[in-house]
Amino acid sequence: MATPDRFRLDGQVVLLTGAGRGLGRAMALSYADAGAKVAGASRTLSQLEETAELVAERGGEAISIATDVTDRVAVEAMVAETIDRFGRVDILMNNAGGGAEGDGSPLEQLTDEQWRWGIDMNLTSQMLCARAVLPHMTERPDNRGGVIINVASGFGLRGGRDNWMYVSAKAGVVNFTRSLAVTYGSSGVRTNCIAPGIFPHTPQALERWRGGRYIPIGRVGLAWEMGPLAVFLSSDAAAGISGETIAQDGGGLAAIGPTGWAPRVRLTEPT
Amino acid sequence: MSDFVPTPNPEQPEDPFLLRGRAALVVGAGDPLGRAAAVALAEAGADVAVASLRAGPQEVVRVNSVANEIWSLGRANVAITLDASDANSVDAAVARTSSELGGLDILINAADLPVAAPLDELTPEDWHAILAANLLAPAMTARAAARVMTINGYGRIINLVSVLAARGVANTSSYAAAHAGVLAMTRSLSQELARSGITVNALQVGIYEGQHGFGDDPETVRQVARMLPAKALVKPEDVGPAVVALAADSGFITGEIIALDGAATARV
Repeated sequence: MATPDRFRLDGQVVLLTGAGRGLGRAMALSYADAGAKVAGASRTLSQLEETAELVAERGGEAISIATDVTDRVAVEAMVAETIDRFGRVDILMNNAGGGAEGDGSPLEQLTDEQWRWGIDMNLTSQMLCARAVLPHMTERPDNRGGVIINVASGFGLRGGRDNWMYVSAKAGVVNFTRSLAVTYGSSGVRTNCIAPGIFPHTPQALERWRGGRYIPIGRVGLAWEMGPLAVFLSSDAAAGISGETIAQDGGGLAAIGPTGWAPRVRLTEPT
Repeated sequence: MSDFVPTPNPEQPEDPFLLRGRAALVVGAGDPLGRAAAVALAEAGADVAVASLRAGPQEVVRVNSVANEIWSLGRANVAITLDASDANSVDAAVARTSSELGGLDILINAADLPVAAPLDELTPEDWHAILAANLLAPAMTARAAARVMTINGYGRIINLVSVLAARGVANTSSYAAAHAGVLAMTRSLSQELARSGITVNALQVGIYEGQHGFGDDPETVRQVARMLPAKALVKPEDVGPAVVALAADSGFITGEIIALDGAATARV
């Protein structure tokens, strides 16, 4: 197969959580452009329907499934409905998450409820979706296996001051990815993780991050930039890549210290 | 550090994985991974210069055959031999790529000198040769390429390294150290060039089918395949599309090391 064809997803079905807005909506459009049918899921049906409309405008096909990714019964129903409507699930994009419950305050002020809600929303949700979809992927009559992609965060790979729930949940996502890859690779399921850096959704958020001036490359991420990476990892072009977390963060995680720190020390004699 | 910040496309381009109009230099194109990268780049629409480190007639034949493959795909191409320890030779290779292909947008460092021997058997001369081919060469090609790329405000540098850079395996101290050096260089250069429109990333490839000294040894293949979930080694041709994905990236991925190893480094 020629290289450009290996990036195509024609006829495949992606189950995409958190598809109603932000990065999820952007990825829905990229998946549709790559030829995949999109089953978008989230809590808010009206937002999903807007995403489905945008997909349709580009000549793609999308359905909308209102769900609660922290609820086992709802997640199982979401997977069943996707298979019912599209006949299969080739790709699970575990994108839903977020919330900063209790983060930004001293640990003593973090409530048990904030911690549990956040871990449920960001980590347990991905386990529920993977657990619900894996029997289908591993026992498909066509033996094609599948792809799971979990969305973590740069905060899953580094600590943050007064950041408790989110860093812990996202670090869990990174390692959950590895065990999925190691366990289900023999059944033809590749699992990888994307760790996005700063992708502000609102002008206020963009302002809070100073337009990205403290990011090494000097700018923030645009929502659409998640799409090609998601499509690549979902496609045959990423064969051989599994258990891996890929950061897309303008060079943030490669760095230490303040942006632009560029010391100069003259070459002399070794100590 | 300059304050140059390239403006990304406001929307996804129609085909985000095409490289039409881009010029690439693949150093180590006679290596199986280099060949895979060169052919995939050409299939994605790039014009490709294929280079080998100062090498014997067999290597020249291999590189010329890759150049022929690129030609048969309808892309411009040029075959070059360079001596990575000679700055003039590296500069000349970059200059020739730029003049014959109309620029230099993508640099792939795929040159490889595999060695596996106990530390006790390695002389300082061995170490110099191993570090020269595996670490100094990508440093010097990146240096020459970045000068051109900085002027254009656009560049994609992709270093191919072995999984041995990230995990300890007996008898690979010198080779692993050289490749780990490339990873450190990748991170550092990503910062140094961050405001030049140049991204610097690495692909960390597992032991692959047919790899000289590793993937062509039945006992190594058996032992490595056994620990991988898919029970099979990585295929060299799978490196091609991964290189294309990084070469075509919009610029927000930099300083990143991507393992292409069939989950070898994901497990305990």
